[in-house]
Amino acid sequence: MAVNVIEARQINKVFNPAREEQVIALQDIDLSVSAGEFVSLIGPSGCGKSTLLRLIADLIEPSTGELQVNEKSPRQARIDRDYGMVFQAATLLEWRSVRKNIELPLEIHGFAKQERRERAQAALELVELGSFGDHWPWQLSGGMQQRVAIARALVFQPSLLLMDEPFGALDEFTRERMNMELLRIWRETDTTILFVTHSIAEAIFLSSRVVVMSPRPGRITSVVDIDLPRPRTFETRAHPRYHELVAEVREVLRDAHVLE
Amino acid sequence: MHPVRRLLPLLLTLAAAVLAATLLQMLNEGSGAQPLILDSTPGELAQWVAAQSEEDAPRSLLGQLARSQALNEGLEGLPEERLVAWAGTLLLLFAVLHVAAVLGALSGLILQRKWHRGALVVALLLTMGWLFLLPQGEKNEALALVLPCGLALLLSLILLQQTATKTLGFVLIISMLLLGVQTAKLFAASRNYRITTALPPWHYSTLPNLDAALSALAAGELDAVLADRRDLRDILAPVPADPDVDPAATAWPDLRYHTRLDSDESLLGIFPVTPRFPGRLALATPADSGLSTLQDLHSRRLGAVAGDFAVDRYLAQDRHLVLLDMKILNDINLPHLQQITEALLQPARRNGPLLLSRILVEAAGHTWGEAILGFAFGASLGFVLGTVFAHFRALERGLLPYVVASQTVPILAIAPMVVIWLGAGPLSVAAISSYLTFFPVTINTLRGLRSPHPNAFELMNSWAASRWQIMWKLRFRAALPYLFTALKISATASVVGAIIGELPSSIRSGLGRAILDFSSDYSAVSTPKLWGAILVAASVGMLSFLIVSLVEWLVLRNSGGRT
Repeated sequence: MAVNVIEARQINKVFNPAREEQVIALQDIDLSVSAGEFVSLIGPSGCGKSTLLRLIADLIEPSTGELQVNEKSPRQARIDRDYGMVFQAATLLEWRSVRKNIELPLEIHGFAKQERRERAQAALELVELGSFGDHWPWQLSGGMQQRVAIARALVFQPSLLLMDEPFGALDEFTRERMNMELLRIWRETDTTILFVTHSIAEAIFLSSRVVVMSPRPGRITSVVDIDLPRPRTFETRAHPRYHELVAEVREVLRDAHVLE
Repeated sequence: MHPVRRLLPLLLTLAAAVLAATLLQMLNEGSGAQPLILDSTPGELAQWVAAQSEEDAPRSLLGQLARSQALNEGLEGLPEERLVAWAGTLLLLFAVLHVAAVLGALSGLILQRKWHRGALVVALLLTMGWLFLLPQGEKNEALALVLPCGLALLLSLILLQQTATKTLGFVLIISMLLLGVQTAKLFAASRNYRITTALPPWHYSTLPNLDAALSALAAGELDAVLADRRDLRDILAPVPADPDVDPAATAWPDLRYHTRLDSDESLLGIFPVTPRFPGRLALATPADSGLSTLQDLHSRRLGAVAGDFAVDRYLAQDRHLVLLDMKILNDINLPHLQQITEALLQPARRNGPLLLSRILVEAAGHTWGEAILGFAFGASLGFVLGTVFAHFRALERGLLPYVVASQTVPILAIAPMVVIWLGAGPLSVAAISSYLTFFPVTINTLRGLRSPHPNAFELMNSWAASRWQIMWKLRFRAALPYLFTALKISATASVVGAIIGELPSSIRSGLGRAILDFSSDYSAVSTPKLWGAILVAASVGMLSFLIVSLVEWLVLRNSGGRT
C-alpha cells in the first residue's frame, strides 16, 4: 500500500489559454491514489472529472502541475501499458468479432497470435463471456458490450483501470449487476480503479473513497472515506451507514452548488 | 381464397394458352417465305447471312461460318431459302416452347401444384421474348395475339397474390414496362396521335379592299379587321405603342394594329389552338377596343379583304383545340422492341460486313478500357485527397472548396481543354473520366476516415498506437463502407465520363462516336440503332457497378454483415 498509483500535485488545466474564451477546466488539483484503492470522482457536468481522467491517461497534458502515474510520467505509463480505459460507450469496432476486439490492443503492441488468443480468452472468461468470442458486437446486449470493453481494458493486466461513466448508458437493473461484477473483477485482479460517475449511490456502493468535485473552475471540494464493510453485497444498500454516507455526499454536493 | 380469385387466373391462363396455340398455328401453316417469318428478327438475320456467305472474305463470325459451310458444299453461297427456312423452324420451336410453358402453367393451376407460379413466370418471359422476335407494325396479327397473351398471364400472376420475391418483382415490372410500351404504341398508331375539339367557326365578312374594311371598322360596323401586317404597318399605329409613331400622324388616328397577337395561340398556355395565327397577319381594332387575344375574337364581327391571305388561308380553315398530341410514341421517338433487336442483329449500313451488335460490343470494350483507366486514376486521386484532407484540416479548409467548385463546371466545357493539354487520345479520355470519378471518392473517404467515434481515437492513443496503425486499423477500416458506396457511384460515372470524353478527342472506335453517329439524323432507320447504343452503354455501366459490388461483397463478407 506504500506505492501511490496516482500522484497529482497542483494540477491546472486551461483550454484555449491564449484566447478570451479560455476555460479553466481544473484548478489546483491534489490527489493521491494508492495501490488497490477504488476511488470514484463525482460531481455535476463540467466539473472536470473526465478531464482529470484524460490527464492521467495522457490523452491531454496539464497546463501546470506535477502528475505521476506509477511513479512515472503519464506518457511513460501510457507507453508501458500501465492502465486500461473504459468509456460510457463500449466503442467496440463493429467489423471485428468480440475476440478480435479484445485482441486489438495486443495486435498494436505486436503480440504473437498464440499469445493474443490466450490472453483474449482469459480476459473474456474474467468477465464471464468465455463462449462469446466469436459473436459480433451487435449481437450482444448493452451490458455485455460493456463487459467486453472491460475485458479489453484488462487484457494487458494493467495496475490501473480508468473508467469514464462506464455504466451511465445502462438500465438500472443491468447497472446494479454490473456493479457487483466490477467489484468481483476488482477483487480478483488487484487493480486500482479510478471511476467517474454521476450517480451518488453507485459511487458509495463501489468505492473506498469518493472524491467530490465542483464546476467552474473544476476543483476538488472534499473527499469522503467510505467505511462500509467489504465484501459489498446487495444487503449493503440496506445498511444504515450507507444511507448516512449518501446523505453526507449529497450535502457536500449541495454546498458546492450553493457556493456558485 | 375467394373462388373468383382462383377461377379468374385459371380463365386468364386458359385464354393465354388459346392465343399461344393460335400463334403456333399461324407460324406452322404458312410456307417458309411468308412475310411473318421473312420480316422477323431471325428471318432478317438469315437473309444477311445468306448475302455474307457469297462474299470472298466475310469479316463477321457468322459470315465466316456460313462461307466455310458454303465452300464445304461446293456452292457459291448458302441459298437464302434454306436459311430463312431455318429461321422459320427456330420460330416454330420457340412457339412450341411457349405453348408448352403456358399449358404447363395452366395444368399447375388446375392441379394446384406449388410450381404453377414458376411456370407462369417462365410463360410470361417467353411471351416477352416474342416482342423481340416478331415483326411489328400496323395490322400485324401476330402482335395482336402476343399482347393479350402477355397481359392475361401478367394479370393472372398479379391476381394470384403471392409473397413478392426479388425475381418475381423484377419479372412483373419489366413485363409491365414492355407490354405497356407496345400496347401504348398500338393505341397511338390507331388514333392518329391526336385528340381535338372543334371551336366555334369564324364570323367574318369580306370587303373589296383594305380602305373599305378600315372605314367600316372606324364606323363601328366591324369589331376587328384581319389583314396583312405589312399593309397595316404603314398606315396604323401599333399596340403596344411605339414612341416613334404618333397615332395622330397616321392615316387612321383612331385605329391600332396588334403586334403581339401572334404569340398568344394557346389555351391555358398548354393546349395549342390550331390553325396557328400566321406571323404575316395582324389584327386592326379601334384604339379603345380592349380586344387583344385570339379568344376575344370569338363571335365578334370580323372583317377581311376579299382574296387576301387572311380569308383564303386563315379564316377559311376550321378551328380546333388540340387536347392530346401524342408525338412521343411514334416509331422515330420510340421504336418497337423488335426494331431495336433487329437493328442490333443487322449491319450498321445496308449489307455491311459486321453486325451492329458486334460493332457496339467492340466500341464498348474500347470505351470500357478508357473508363477503367479513368476510374482507377480518379479513385486513387480521390482516396489520396480524402486522406490528406482527413489528416490536415488546414488543407481541407483551403482545397475542398475548389474540389466542390470543380464539379460545378460542366464536363462538356472542361473536356476540350483536357484534349488541348493532353492531346487527342485515350489518355485525355481517361483524364476526363477521372474528373467525374474522383469527387465522390474524395468526399466519402474524408467522411469515412472521420467516422469513428472520438472515444475510439482515445482508445487507440491509450494503447500508444502509431499514426499509421490508427490509419489502417481504425480509420481506413471504418471508411471502407463509405468508400465502396463512392466507388459504385464512380464506376458508373466513369463510363459516362469516357463516352463524353471521346467526343472532343474525336476517337472513332468508342461508344461516344457510335452514339453521335446514330443521333445525327432522327430517322426511323437510325433511332433503333441509337437505342441499341444506349442499351450497350447502359450495360457497360451496370457491369462496372456489379464488379464493384462483387469486390465489396468479397472484402466485407467476413465482418459481421453489418458494415
